[in-house]
Amino acid sequence: MDEKRIVRSELRWVFVVAAAVTLMLVVIVATTLANALHPPSNVETIDPATLHIAGEFTEANLGTQENADGTVTVRLIATQYAFVPRCLPVPEGRPVSIRVTSPDVIHGFIVAGTNANTMVVPGFVAELTTEFDEPGDHLMPCHEYCGLGHSNMWAVLRVVPEEEWIPDANGRMTCELVP
Amino acid sequence: MTVTRQHDGSTDEPDDLKEADLERALRLVPRGAAALAGLAVALIIVGWLLVYLLVFLPRGPVN
Repeated sequence: MDEKRIVRSELRWVFVVAAAVTLMLVVIVATTLANALHPPSNVETIDPATLHIAGEFTEANLGTQENADGTVTVRLIATQYAFVPRCLPVPEGRPVSIRVTSPDVIHGFIVAGTNANTMVVPGFVAELTTEFDEPGDHLMPCHEYCGLGHSNMWAVLRVVPEEEWIPDANGRMTCELVP
Repeated sequence: MTVTRQHDGSTDEPDDLKEADLERALRLVPRGAAALAGLAVALIIVGWLLVYLLVFLPRGPVN
């Protein structure tokens, strides 16, 4: 085989690879624009040394809160080596905003079987908004290595059907209230 | 005649291969390689498309 044929064959292969990459980019850009997708991009700072003393992330304020407009906000702390609280109830098929921060090191927040996924960086509040459509318990393991107890750091997100969603008078909901 | 053995085990002994046969074989080999590589790349692209369209997108947006 002469050199020209080798070069032609390599050029054909470059074209195939370029076409494959172009196809994937076109699919990503088209579906992103059609669905108005964008990654969570909340830049909000917080003092990690005092977040447990005052403000939004004190212990009494952690957990699930139903807002007046029917949306739900979940606040939690990721700390070595647990999520607080350990069980997070959310209603099925309603917009849920999850706000999470860390007082110590970088942790990872992910809900198995969903696209909910973010890093939790001390000094910042990570926020994401999504809907959960599959009732039941979803595992929430920390997915950023955070120390020797990393593998024991996990919690549960409990997607509750609408008929079982009965928050208390203040709009607070806990896993214990799920029938 | 001294037979010299090369590092790959071949020798310089004359064989009965004809140049034309060798050319034909060398023309066919790259087609098989291209078919194998093409199939592998096609499977990766199809797999990516299936996961993206049937798993990632149905899970809904996270904003």
